[in-house]
Amino acid sequence: MIATHPKFAVVGHPNKGKSSIVATLALDDTVQISDTPGTTTKRRSFPLSVDGKVLYELFDTPGFQRARRVLAWLEKHDVPAHKKPEVVEAFINEHKEDERFNDEIELLEPIMEGAGIIYVVDGSQPYGEEYETEMEILRWTGQPSMALINHIEDTDYSDEWKKALEQYFRMVRTYNPMKATLEDHVSILESMAQLKEEWIAPVKASIKLLEHYKGQMLERSALLLARLVYDSVSMVEKHYFYTQEADDEDKEKIESNYKDRLRDLEISTQKGIEEVWNHGHLNKEETELTFEGMDLFSEESASVFGLTRKELIITAATSGAVTGAGIDLLLAGHTLLLGGALGALVGGTGAYFGFNELSEVKVLGQTMGRRYLEMGPMENRNFPYILLGRAIYHTMKVAQISHAKRDVFEIEMDQSFKERWLDDTSRNALEKYHKKFRSGKALETGELKEYEEIIKKILKHLINV
Amino acid sequence: MNIRSYVNLYELLKITPSTREENRAFGITHVMLKNRPIDQLSAWIEEHKHRLKRPLLSETFSSYLYRVTFILVLIAFALGLLTGIGLLSYSGREPVNVIYFIAVVIFFPLFTMLLTFLAMIRASSSQNVLIHLSPAFWLEKILSLMPAKMEERLQTFQINPLLTNWTIIKRSQIIVLFFSFGLLLALLGAVVTKDIAFAWSTTLHITPVALHDFLTILALPWSEFVPAAVPSLELIQQSQYFRLGERLNEEMIAHASQLGEWWKFLAFSTLFYAIVLRLLMFVFVSFGYRRALERSLLTLKGTNKLLREINEPIISTHAKRKESTFTPNEKSYAQIVNSLDASYDCIHGWAIPYKKLLLLGDSLQIIAPNYFEAGGTNSFDEDAEIISKSHGEVLLLVKAWEPPTMDFIDYLNDLVDKVDKVIVMPIGTKKNGYDASDKEIDVWDSKLSVLRNMKVWLKR
Repeated sequence: MIATHPKFAVVGHPNKGKSSIVATLALDDTVQISDTPGTTTKRRSFPLSVDGKVLYELFDTPGFQRARRVLAWLEKHDVPAHKKPEVVEAFINEHKEDERFNDEIELLEPIMEGAGIIYVVDGSQPYGEEYETEMEILRWTGQPSMALINHIEDTDYSDEWKKALEQYFRMVRTYNPMKATLEDHVSILESMAQLKEEWIAPVKASIKLLEHYKGQMLERSALLLARLVYDSVSMVEKHYFYTQEADDEDKEKIESNYKDRLRDLEISTQKGIEEVWNHGHLNKEETELTFEGMDLFSEESASVFGLTRKELIITAATSGAVTGAGIDLLLAGHTLLLGGALGALVGGTGAYFGFNELSEVKVLGQTMGRRYLEMGPMENRNFPYILLGRAIYHTMKVAQISHAKRDVFEIEMDQSFKERWLDDTSRNALEKYHKKFRSGKALETGELKEYEEIIKKILKHLINV
Repeated sequence: MNIRSYVNLYELLKITPSTREENRAFGITHVMLKNRPIDQLSAWIEEHKHRLKRPLLSETFSSYLYRVTFILVLIAFALGLLTGIGLLSYSGREPVNVIYFIAVVIFFPLFTMLLTFLAMIRASSSQNVLIHLSPAFWLEKILSLMPAKMEERLQTFQINPLLTNWTIIKRSQIIVLFFSFGLLLALLGAVVTKDIAFAWSTTLHITPVALHDFLTILALPWSEFVPAAVPSLELIQQSQYFRLGERLNEEMIAHASQLGEWWKFLAFSTLFYAIVLRLLMFVFVSFGYRRALERSLLTLKGTNKLLREINEPIISTHAKRKESTFTPNEKSYAQIVNSLDASYDCIHGWAIPYKKLLLLGDSLQIIAPNYFEAGGTNSFDEDAEIISKSHGEVLLLVKAWEPPTMDFIDYLNDLVDKVDKVIVMPIGTKKNGYDASDKEIDVWDSKLSVLRNMKVWLKR
């Protein structure tokens, strides 16, 4: 079968980090990774695609289980070098239904369908001669191949591995999926492209696309963060009560609802960020958003026709002024604008003193006014920086964590981080928007986008993608 | 693009009717709309509208708006008509003072248009006092208090304050326009059905010449086309009315037939200042309303994300097929050996070279008559020969860091058929003093548990 796009099968001994490498190269945290060998039982394809068009495809495969038996079978066939791949094909065909060779079939099939070989070994453990059997089988397939030295532990046996691997593979590279950066990722892809001349162009296109993808992730993160700060700062919580005055229980209720809503917003944004960076299954530990040192005032208020006392006073005063001004106008200003002034005074005073009575008036069985406690928009000027700082830190950590990481990830922000992300220029740029968010005014079309751009710039600087 | 589109989009974004892939597919099939976000949104709304609950909130909302506006328009028209009739009421004893009518058809519209301009400037503020002055705002508030007048869905629907303000501003123009139609109809009706004597009168000291100059300026927009609708100085002089004095009788009675000529000026004043200017204002407001609608659509929560999903290519690196869940064997191996004997019948090393085996035996202070290297680069015949030479208790040393493969299990199975007991001992690296870590031993433990052979023991 002729491959339409470059394919690469990640193969090797069991438990040497094949799945970790695939998870990192495919930016996929759904790959099962564990210390127990045999976690991968079926090969799995990870295509890099843009709008459904596959640019290259990676295969995660189970490890060799009965390599010596496979090689023994192959070596029974005394054939010239160019016929060796046919023998491997014959092995696959003959043992397809043989459960004993299930893992070998799973790993050999994509290779025989044209996939380049990426042979993975653990450079933190000593070299063993038994690996030569596996390398020999791979040589029989006749497919272009390279070796990747993974480092599961801190010890280093790379030199002895290199010497052995260079006997079998054109290229030997070191790659640590737990610490790999975008540059390392790109560098490995470039090496993979070298396996076959016709793969160079599509893999290079993939590299460009991958860089664009990272840019997309940054943009989408900035969008989520901008929305989080806007929604949180401008959030207003109302708690209606039906007594003359709000009691402590009402005040506690509104405060706890308000805080819970803010926390929920932060949590859902974090979830969104994790999904953007393909870390939907991240197992993390983090301290909860606290409101220490923030005075969260709840204002007791009432409304008549949906207008607060202040709004009603202004409305009544303006209406009075308009009526008075009409009289002034009819008298061509000879009243020295006294009509307008008096009208405003009468309207405003009337609304001020009559507000409570008006709110009690019943129309068709319903009172015209309602009493409530109101909390928000967030007046504390530091709050948006605290929230944004936490969100940026979380995003930075999520963006940098390996997709192969499966243990609990602690997100604990250190104090120095604030100085790293927030300089005076950024603070000044952000403050303008925070002020707008606090005002409760409707946003202009481009405003949130501009705010998002500032966040994106900060993220880009911190994440360095 | 109208208010219904806004409400539909608001509802659709809440139910997220399409996946990211579907949105991108929409972007690809509607490539001609690229860089035209409003058109993209309109087309997207049309494509997904059928997924919304019936009756559509947008239809309920626009029908509610229509009903409220219609009621207000009727009230405004009736008010205009009644105001006109009131202003033009003529008993035959005293002439009708045109100053009142001029105030209502010229200065009132100009003043309300000024307020409209101010309201438009402050339209982005959610607490816009000028908006609260509008009758449209108040009637809605009153209607919302009436039980069962508004659907529950409508009450929970939150519309952008900017759009609310522009909706009220736009509807206010229609309402005032119909008020002006009422005035004009009242004027025309009064002129046709009555012989009205118009006059002008004011307590202020305004000369006929000053008033003429002023009215000529007011009549500038139509003076070229309809000169008869511009009051002449003569008419102004003849129609000045004093409540006390002799002049009334002489002047007015002498020119009684000419006093009715004022109606042309009044009719054109109404037509131009109250109707034409208001229509222009309406057109102007409609542009602002449309802009506000577009802004509201683009700032609606979720729109930005949707547009990104439509326009950005989907880059995927994920596996399409879900991986079957692997459940590791949690059972501990029951057959554990904690300390080794001083000697064994055989020592086998799985992929451990013979020399290294001797060294390990020495290091562990164990003696055995036979040491064999199994597995590794051995052939199966060589392994079979090793097994045939083995008997009694065998200590099988394995590299702890290399997980057991099925090749090893096959060998072990063959070996236990031949010997009495096999003790599998994982050995660590030289760097670790040949000590295997617990984690490494656990891996072997787990594999041997699956084997379940009474002859096989694990050294921990």
